[in-house]
Amino acid sequence: MKLLRQTLLLLRKDLLLELRRHESLMTMFFFGALLLFVFNFSFELTPARVSELAPGLLWLAFLFTGTLGLTQLFEGERGNHCLDALLMSPIDRGALFLAKTCFNIVLMGLVELVVMPLFWILFSLPSWQPLPALFLIVFLGNVGFCVLGTILAAVTLKARARELLLPLVLFPLMVPVILATIRCMEALLRFGELGEALPWLRLLIGFDVIFLTVGILIFDWVVDV
Amino acid sequence: MRITVHQLAKAYGYFWALRDLEIQVGGGERVALLGPNGAGKTTLLNLLAGLIYPTRGEIRLDGVPLTRQSNAQRAAIGLLSPGEHLYDDLTARENLEFFTALYDRQRGPISIANAIEETLEAVGLGRWAGEYAGALSSSMKCRLSVAKWKLLSPKLLLLDEPYGVLDGGGVDLLESFLKAQSEQGSVVIIASHHVARVLDLCTRAIILEQGKLIFDETRREPWDSFARAFGAFTPGGNR
Amino acid sequence: MPQVTGKKRKGILGAATLVFIIAGLYWGLIKAPPDAYQGDSQRIMYLHIPSILIAYLSFFLVFVGSCLYLWKREKRDDNLAHAAAEIGVLFTALTIIEGSIWGRPTWGVWWTWDARLTLTAILLLIFIGYLMLRALVEDESRAASSAAILGIIGFLDIPLIHMSVYWWRTLHQPPSILRPDKVPWENIHPELLTALAINFVAFVLLYFYMLSHRLRLGEMHEEIKARRMR
Repeated sequence: MKLLRQTLLLLRKDLLLELRRHESLMTMFFFGALLLFVFNFSFELTPARVSELAPGLLWLAFLFTGTLGLTQLFEGERGNHCLDALLMSPIDRGALFLAKTCFNIVLMGLVELVVMPLFWILFSLPSWQPLPALFLIVFLGNVGFCVLGTILAAVTLKARARELLLPLVLFPLMVPVILATIRCMEALLRFGELGEALPWLRLLIGFDVIFLTVGILIFDWVVDV
Repeated sequence: MRITVHQLAKAYGYFWALRDLEIQVGGGERVALLGPNGAGKTTLLNLLAGLIYPTRGEIRLDGVPLTRQSNAQRAAIGLLSPGEHLYDDLTARENLEFFTALYDRQRGPISIANAIEETLEAVGLGRWAGEYAGALSSSMKCRLSVAKWKLLSPKLLLLDEPYGVLDGGGVDLLESFLKAQSEQGSVVIIASHHVARVLDLCTRAIILEQGKLIFDETRREPWDSFARAFGAFTPGGNR
Repeated sequence: MPQVTGKKRKGILGAATLVFIIAGLYWGLIKAPPDAYQGDSQRIMYLHIPSILIAYLSFFLVFVGSCLYLWKREKRDDNLAHAAAEIGVLFTALTIIEGSIWGRPTWGVWWTWDARLTLTAILLLIFIGYLMLRALVEDESRAASSAAILGIIGFLDIPLIHMSVYWWRTLHQPPSILRPDKVPWENIHPELLTALAINFVAFVLLYFYMLSHRLRLGEMHEEIKARRMR
């Protein structure tokens, strides 16, 4: 399918560039790890409390590192006006959206894969068992964040004070994702299974699906004047 | 390829960059787009490239209006801006591979690879095919752009100040490429400050000033009378 | 919409608004009896409930304007979205202030993270983000499309935000005796309902009156721009 082919082509180019430049990934890794240290000094993280606070703290870390990734998202195209080159080309704008979203999902996913075990180690959480399920929930939240984030990153591309504007418009809209992932993670940490938190999972998946579709349809207008 | 520009106007806030332009260009023409800085040349090129959209009026390619959704039309338009639209962290070869794939010009992996190598040789970049585009000098980068558009072969080719960075060999290369394109029926529009050079190459001259069209003549013989008509618009004869 | 900006119609609208505001003030402050539990502080509900409804109406108009603008690219629709957002943010802020004023004597605190207040605060943030986006993007038509996208996404997100915030507050808390977000309609004195209805109409009229002025302002902006072309 043409959309898929174009998406993969763009994604491959972005991953190749990231591999060579290491701009986004490295900063995100270090920022995420740094935040964990800051948490240690800001909160009394006794073993009793840490399980309770873990979902919220992790999400704080991911929100900030994710935003960092988003503001960098179109940086690769900035030099030499390459974004113009992409917009002039006959590709489907939906493919550009999917490629950028997937790229950010990959970056955030890699950061999460490192930061979550790091959190477990630094704060001596009792059990490693819930981690895989937690990854899955965080990943779904990741998708929601990257989908909305990519649309808004593109929309704010030519705005002044962009680094401040992007979180300002993004965070209120992220409320369903944040609440849903935190409730699911709490359930997993406390009971080992979702149970009552199941409706939250449905909400999360619904959010992802809705805005992924909206993104593909609407991106034509996003990168345009 | 026939370009029709009808009552085209573009405003940025309160500032009108272009006002009420009417132009018609046919295939095979090479048009010199001239005028002082701020006259609106780059704005017009960006509008024709489909990068920005008019405040008023319309552009038609072969009778079909150029709109946001015209992906098929985009495949036929090229914009050559020296130093731009190339990825610094991809090699020369990778850049060409990427763009040919983007424009769906890959007839088959082997034939496109050959075409890329041949084109790189033809523009004199054979030895630098594996170098990062960012490491190339500006004149080499411009040659790479020429290579790119040679492979993509657009029906409408727009150039924004190409003469500044090219060396002698590069200029000859560019001009023979442009002549070949227009012979195939493409439209070539060059915005430049190098008046003498571009007039030599082109079949028609258009002058913009403060967003308005003030001169639009096809080059005609005897050259003297054309030069005189043109000279009336250039204070002091030389810019 | 454009017809509303005509001078005569604005005059009639303005007069009607004034009539209803005065009537609303009379009914709300004097005629309707004080609430059995909350006393006179309950009267702020006559402002608070219409305010929040108008805020949501505003966002709906932003959505409509945004969709129309992306579809037809007419300045008029973008003007509508912008105007609705500006007045909407005003009414949303008013709602929060009124809610806070009501909360102080009722619950003893200026703020609480109950579902309704939280939702209103989020709505305010979304509106502010929308207006900031418009202010910070330089090219006008780009600002218009960017804002339109945000308007559409924001509107689509609101039901999801609602659901998540309500679940957050209700699924994990035992039902409390004082449920500030539940108004028992069955038990309301008819006079209170009348007062509420009159004030609601007053607010709607006030809203459209302000909107018509704001729309006219936008139109004049466009006229100036067109004149400068010559």
